[in-house]
Amino acid sequence: MNRKPHIFSMLAMTLLCVVAFLWAAPFLWMFVASIRPEGFGGLRMASIWPDFSPTLDNFALAFKSANFALYYFNTFLMAAGILLVQMVTIMLAGYAFARLEFPFKNTIFYAFLIQLMLVPPILIVPNLSTLVMLHLNDSLLGVMAPYFASAFGVFLMRQSFKSIPKDFEDAAIIDGCSWYQLIWYVLLPLSRPTLVAFAIVSVVFHWNEFLWPLMVITSPEKQVLTVGLASFTLGAEGASEWGLIAAGTVLVSAPLLIVFVAFQRQFVNSFVSSGIK
Amino acid sequence: MKNILKKPMIATALAMGLLGVVSGAEAQTKIDFYFPAGVQGPVARNMQELVSQFNESQDEIEVVAAYTGNYTQTKTKAQAAIAAGAPPALALMSANLTLELVLDEQIVSIEGLLEAENQDRDTFLSDFWPALHKNAIVNDTLYAIPFQNSTPLLYINAEHFREVGLDPENPPSTWDELLDAAQKLTQRDGDEVTRYGIVLPQSSSYLSWVFQAFVMANGGDFFNADTGAEVYFDSAETTDALTFYRALAYEHNVMPQSITDSKQVSTFFISGKASMMILSTGAMGFVRDNAPFDYQVGFVPGNVRNAVPIGGGSVVIFKGQEPEKLAAAWTFAKWLTDAPQLGFWSRATGYFAPRQSSYEIEEMQEFLAENPDASTAVQQLPYAQPWLATYKTIAVRTALEDELQQVIAGQKTVEEGLADAQAKAEEILQPYVDTLQ
Repeated sequence: MNRKPHIFSMLAMTLLCVVAFLWAAPFLWMFVASIRPEGFGGLRMASIWPDFSPTLDNFALAFKSANFALYYFNTFLMAAGILLVQMVTIMLAGYAFARLEFPFKNTIFYAFLIQLMLVPPILIVPNLSTLVMLHLNDSLLGVMAPYFASAFGVFLMRQSFKSIPKDFEDAAIIDGCSWYQLIWYVLLPLSRPTLVAFAIVSVVFHWNEFLWPLMVITSPEKQVLTVGLASFTLGAEGASEWGLIAAGTVLVSAPLLIVFVAFQRQFVNSFVSSGIK
Repeated sequence: MKNILKKPMIATALAMGLLGVVSGAEAQTKIDFYFPAGVQGPVARNMQELVSQFNESQDEIEVVAAYTGNYTQTKTKAQAAIAAGAPPALALMSANLTLELVLDEQIVSIEGLLEAENQDRDTFLSDFWPALHKNAIVNDTLYAIPFQNSTPLLYINAEHFREVGLDPENPPSTWDELLDAAQKLTQRDGDEVTRYGIVLPQSSSYLSWVFQAFVMANGGDFFNADTGAEVYFDSAETTDALTFYRALAYEHNVMPQSITDSKQVSTFFISGKASMMILSTGAMGFVRDNAPFDYQVGFVPGNVRNAVPIGGGSVVIFKGQEPEKLAAAWTFAKWLTDAPQLGFWSRATGYFAPRQSSYEIEEMQEFLAENPDASTAVQQLPYAQPWLATYKTIAVRTALEDELQQVIAGQKTVEEGLADAQAKAEEILQPYVDTLQ
């Protein structure tokens, strides 16, 4: 009686394992390659099977090639700074678009959404000109500034606030809440999954961004991780030191991976309940 | 009260930190220098070392050396900065972009700076390898100073050569010998190739660069190095060169039938899956450190003559800066391109030094004595010629590369592909041709 479902679940399990392995292969390879001795031969280099003589030489070389401590600090400052300001702006703008009535509300909202259609590279020169005018060129604040308002975040918050029944607000207003208390005590706690989901998207995007920081930052002491990684792994004219590339990539992606593994359950829940993929 | 005062102070301090406001002695002229890294390894570190040597040697100028990605990204950043009104003082730019930078009126003439010091261009240039001159001169005026340069080079696996009865001390020097060696070196298991005779880069700018070497070795001209307004992509020499290139993979089966990038090429070679490769002299350091076998280098085989294109980067100085910054940029550029600095850079990266006098320095001679392969690269220099440099070089080069890849992948015939490449390139060049008439 029980046999058939059992076989099916075994099959499903196997299939899932295969898919999970395929998905994880690049990560596994990255870790394996990062501790593989250099000059082990290009063929073995492609193998996902670890060697029996792991080494940290690649990491030592990576640390020698770039100032990682400084890059971590700068990248963290940049990603966290952007997120903090974004949280405030998207919350307020989201509330305005969801609840307040003002002339041309929808037109302004759609104009906001059009921002999502713009490819960031075409804004490089105009944004940079603004930064030069504001004397923010070659500063981390300059890297952050264009992202302080996020059309995507405003859209998410508006949708999230709209899905909250008005009754909650009415009850709060009857109890004497002002508008900011309403946002802080009623709307925000109910929108937490959306905020968390947005935070992940924002941090991952800015952590990994390359072109914009490259354009703004000139001084080496203000450089971020992605550019620092590229400074010793992107050379096209030489050849490939896969071990060094892998070690550098581990260093850059490790913080995000660790955070993700640690808070996996909460992240997945947020994505499920906010509907973002 | 204390608290109220404290908070804004912290905020101000933070803001100053973020804005990068530096107080203190401002007597120094601070200039920005953009540099890309064309080869892997701690190149950025080496450059910082070199620049801090300069900064410590004097008090008037402080150079900030900024790593700016690859050559294309460096160009993008420089152009964005110029458009935004904050040009860098100087940059290390791909040697074949000088013409474009001059046409866009973005760089100053080096010749003008030399004349201001009563120096003569030809005397200044005489120490630089002759092959480098044309990529630095536009409209008979010097606009760039060569800094790091390379040529394609043939790398061979000496152990494989001995195994099949070939002499590794005499690498193939003609196309016939190259094909013959590649056929002997290729190993097959039934229909499957287990070891390729040769592997060549077939993607991005590397493809057109190595292909240019084949065309020139075949006696062809590739482009008009004097005007930068003409290309010869459909000439008989180019057609023959592409036919030979393609036949290596499809007729003779001695080269992989896939689009291989430079990273795959070196991996093929280092792993012993291919016995010969043609890559930049800039890859030599990597091969030296990683090849677990005995290897040799040789000139890129010539069909009717020995000829290779130059690659690499030159120092250019930008327009639109204050006079004291311009003067500082010129002082630094002269120091950076002086023989000892070029020698240091050559030893650190694997590029060759553009000044002939760099090789007379003792450290350099010791280095060549220890690394005879590096001297082969230097011996090939008298045969080097300018790199493809036209109006809108990157667009012209990409037009050719797209067609080359289609031919190599078997989607177009050699004649069709080259005719299309020529037509596309002419279309891109037309506006410039019009201005010349």
